[in-house]
Formats: sequence, structure tokens, C-alpha cells
Amino acid sequence: MALSFLSRVSSQLCRIPKTIESQSIQFNKRLYHEKVVDHYENPRNVGSLDKNDKYVGTGLVGAPACGDVMKLQIRVDETGKIVESRFKTFGCGSAIASSSYATELIKGKTLEQAGQIRNREIAEELKLPPVKLHCSMLAEDAIKAAIKDLEKKQKECK
Amino acid sequence: MNRCGCWKTSFVTQYSLKQEKLLSKTWYSPSLTRLRSRRTRRFLTFATLLSSPHSDKVNSLHCPVNREDFPILHQTIENGKLVYLDSAATSQKPLVVLEALRNYYLHNNANVHRGAHTLSARATEAYERARQTLQHFIGAESREQVIFTRNATEAINLVAYAWGLDNLKPGDELILATSNHHSNIVPWQLIASRTGAVLKYVVLDSQQQDSLESFKSLLESGKVRLVACSHVSNVLGFINDIKQITQWAHSAGALVLVDACQSVPHMPVNVVDLDCDFLVASGHKMCGPTGIGFLYGKESLLENMSPFLGGGEMIAEVYEDYSTFSVLPHKLEAGTPAIAEAVGLGAAVEYLQEIGLDVIHSYEKCLSEYLYRHLKDIPNITIYGPQDITKRVGLCCFNIKGIHASDLAAVLDLEGVAIRSGHHCAQLLHRSLGISGSARASLYMYNTKEEIDSFMGSLYRSIDILKR
Repeated sequence: MALSFLSRVSSQLCRIPKTIESQSIQFNKRLYHEKVVDHYENPRNVGSLDKNDKYVGTGLVGAPACGDVMKLQIRVDETGKIVESRFKTFGCGSAIASSSYATELIKGKTLEQAGQIRNREIAEELKLPPVKLHCSMLAEDAIKAAIKDLEKKQKECK
Repeated sequence: MNRCGCWKTSFVTQYSLKQEKLLSKTWYSPSLTRLRSRRTRRFLTFATLLSSPHSDKVNSLHCPVNREDFPILHQTIENGKLVYLDSAATSQKPLVVLEALRNYYLHNNANVHRGAHTLSARATEAYERARQTLQHFIGAESREQVIFTRNATEAINLVAYAWGLDNLKPGDELILATSNHHSNIVPWQLIASRTGAVLKYVVLDSQQQDSLESFKSLLESGKVRLVACSHVSNVLGFINDIKQITQWAHSAGALVLVDACQSVPHMPVNVVDLDCDFLVASGHKMCGPTGIGFLYGKESLLENMSPFLGGGEMIAEVYEDYSTFSVLPHKLEAGTPAIAEAVGLGAAVEYLQEIGLDVIHSYEKCLSEYLYRHLKDIPNITIYGPQDITKRVGLCCFNIKGIHASDLAAVLDLEGVAIRSGHHCAQLLHRSLGISGSARASLYMYNTKEEIDSFMGSLYRSIDILKR
């Protein structure tokens, strides 16, 4: 599942996709805003970090309603600032876009700041329609799960 | 890589040019993609269609309904004419049903059953006539066996609470199927947790149907009190052999509840012939309005059931600390019923009977064979359910490798094609198939061969976009 997704994404990353003239494409405004299309076609920060690294937190969340799965990983530096993040998502275009945008949103933030990110920020940025709001919720859950995992690790290390 | 050879440029560029041919109804099988000449390709596709014996049948297929009866079908959605392939979720309603609803509220609306005035008598007569129409439709022996509910879900809950709470004790077994709709799983879970009954599940066989062997072997425990299964699966599209299941269940001392939501609208169903103990269906899937469904039950079972909901209509006498209850069917219908909706459902049933359920069933069989055969041609597609077309009804749940069903449905919607994506209220089934969701195209008597052709064209174009 994740492998086929990754191979599809990396094949998209390897070749330059056909240009989408976003003004002339009448993608349904209800579902595929140009920002969603952009993240879907050019997802940011796809991949994995070493989950055993003590500076890496891994959040793996699933949405029972649609069966989508999101893995979001964060790496922090010694000061606790998020310096890198990666995601892998099995899901629809909006889920991919939400997690891709989430990895951009949290970079440079502290764990506390990242934990305050709400799904509506993601939904508003991507102009997600009501039927796809749960994708942004999943991204918020994934961020929180990654932070929780990192905090747990750091507590165990002490 | 373009799936269809006729598109020389990408779908995206054509879309931006707003070419009319973008919405062309013709489509080409992938095996013809190498041919350059459009005329040759069109001829060969036509020839292929003509050459098969099935194509004679499907080319001479006439839709048994007048599509003008369904005004909602004649509209444009986004960039294309509506192609409605989601009747398994809810059906469209013919004008006669809309007229019946309107007529009821214009001329006959009053509360039913106890009014002394003329309007009340007319409303009661219309409501009870609808009940009788339904009784004859399913072959029930008396009208008291037809209980109006809000939908099939409420009907199953009615049996679960009114029969289950009184009759189940710890250790009793209930047989369900992993392919059941959630409405035929969750109420039993709620009741099992209250009564200590145990749930057992029938698995799928190699053909992705409910395994009859599994039914048989689960019934051998001797502790089964009820079997709750579907007549037709809303995901896998198979038809269960209810007569056989009922025979085995009754020999083992178990009752049978049949979820007939996907069968009653599409084929003749006779409850005496099936010999099931309970049967449920929803009005909105059979051309009736939303908010109405029914439960059929054998008279002795319904007589012995406690009330489900309490309130007006279902009582005989009310005292401070107890009440006595009305006779069937009123005992199980509390409160002011959905009178207009019942009248609408009666009109829907009459509409279906006028066309003939046999006619509807054989038309849909032909159409569903056409749909299945053409879907199978798509590379990397998995269609769930039996591969034997004779065992399938007019719905196909499928997945295409590398494409999320939700994205497919969204892109198809851009061309006006309405399909469903998700788990179709069957999470257990999807989990057992190892998938998170699927896309579903479901047919009804108002769909046509041309619509399926249009769907296939849109599908190929959508796959092109999503796999770019």
C-alpha cells in the first residue's frame, strides 16, 4: 500500500509533471482547489526519518471513516525546534495535500507551537470543502501524535 | 501514458481548450490504442460490440421506464449530463410519487386512525391502502404483518430491541455475515452486549459471496437463535440463497431476518416463498420517499413481541403505572406515522408493479452484464464479488490500482457521473477484503446502455488524469 503510493509519488517527483494551467482548468472548486492540486502533484517532504532516532517523533494515525492512513515524522534540534519533517499518506488527494502542507507548516516551530496547530488552519489554506474536512483533522492528529511520541521518547531518555 | 489512443494531447490541455469532443460519449478499448485512424478505431469498436452474442441483446435493450418520469435525471452536473449510478444509496423518484405526496398534502392531509372527520378518514384510507399495496407486493398473508418504520435500519432495530431483549439469554448465538450492512450488524452488537448473546460471523467463500458452508456449520452449534443476513449484498452484488438458509436455520431452531434493501426494488420477492421470519427494506431505495421503510414479520412473532417505541397510536388504555397495547400493526407504530411518505411509497410500489418486477430484473441483468464486462477490461481493476455474471446484480464495487476511490469519484463528478466511494457502510467487509474503501457504480431500471458507455468514457479519462 505505502510502497505503491511511494513509487507513484517518487515517479511523479522524478519526471516533471505536465503543467496545469490552474486558471484554465475548471477543476471543481468544491473539491480540488489549485492548492490541493499543487500539493497532490508536488507533495513536499515525502519520505521517512529514522524512527529510532531520539530526536525523531513519529505519528501514525488512521481515519476509520475512510480508511486513510497518515504517517508524519518530525525531527527536532537540541533546542526543541522542528528542523525537519516527513510524511507518507495513503489516502485521497485532500489527505495527501493536508499532510504535505502540515509538514511545511510545522517547520521552524517549537513543539508547543506545533501542538497548537488546528485543522481549520490547514482546511482554510487548502480551501477544503466540508466533505474533506476530516482530512485536515487527520493531519492535526498526526502532528499531535508525532509530538506525543517525541515527548515520550525524551522522557524515557532522561 | 494516455489510456485512450484517440486523445493525442493530454486530458488537461483538452479540458482547457473546452473542446466539445471532451464530453464525447464514444470511448475506445485500450486494445485499440495503437490505431491511428479514428474512423478505423470507431468501426472496430463497433464491430467488436456487434460480434459478440451478448451485444445483440444489449443493442436491442430498451429501458423499461419512460425516463421523462424522472425529471431529476435530465440535468447537467459540472461539465456533463448527469449519469446517476448511485441507486444503491438511494433511488430517484418518478413523477407519480412526487404527485402522490403533493396530492396528499393538497387534499387529504390529516392525522390518521382516530379522527371523526372526513379528512382524517381520507388520510387513514390512503395510509392503510399503501400498507395493503406493500402487503401484496411482498406476498404477505395479511396487512397486519407490514409494519411501517422510518427505514430498514429502524426496522432491524425494532426486531433487535422488541424481539431480542425478550428472547435472548447469555450464550445464545446470533449469526451475522461479514458482508452485512452496518444496520444489520450494529443493532445486534448493542443487543448482544445487553443480553449476553454471542455474535458469530459467516465468512466469504472463494467467489466473494456469503459462504453457504459457513452458514451451515455455524448453525450446527444448536445455540443459534437468529440469522441476520442480506438478500443481496450492497458491495459484492451477490444474491443469497435465502430459501436454503431459511430451511437450514429453521431445522436448527433459528429465526431468519433478511435485509432486502437491495433486492425488493429490483426483483420479485415473496416472503412466503422465502419463508423468512422477518424482512426489512427501505422505501427510498425503491423509488419511494425518504423517511419510510417497513418490517415484515410472521404474525405469531409480531404478536408476541413487546412494543418497541411507546407513545400514542400503539396503546389501548393508559393508566398511571401501566398501559395496555394496541393490536398489530399499530402496537409497533408509535406516534403519528410518516403518512405522506407511506402514501408516496404506495405510489412507488404501484409504479414498479405496473412495469413488472420481472421486466425490471431481466433488464437490469442485461445491463449489469454489460457494465461488468466493460469494467473488467480496465487495466489494474479489481471488481469485488462473484466473477460469474449470472450470480451478480446491477452493482459493481471496484478499485483501480494506484487510484484512491474518493479521488476517482471526485474526478468523475466533474463530468456529471455520480458514483459512490468509501466503505458503503460495510467496514467489516472491506477489512476482510483488505481494502480501506472502494468505488461503487450501481444501476437501476432508469439507467441505459448509453449511460454506461458515457460512464466508461469518463472513467478512462479520469484514470488518465489521476495516473498522470
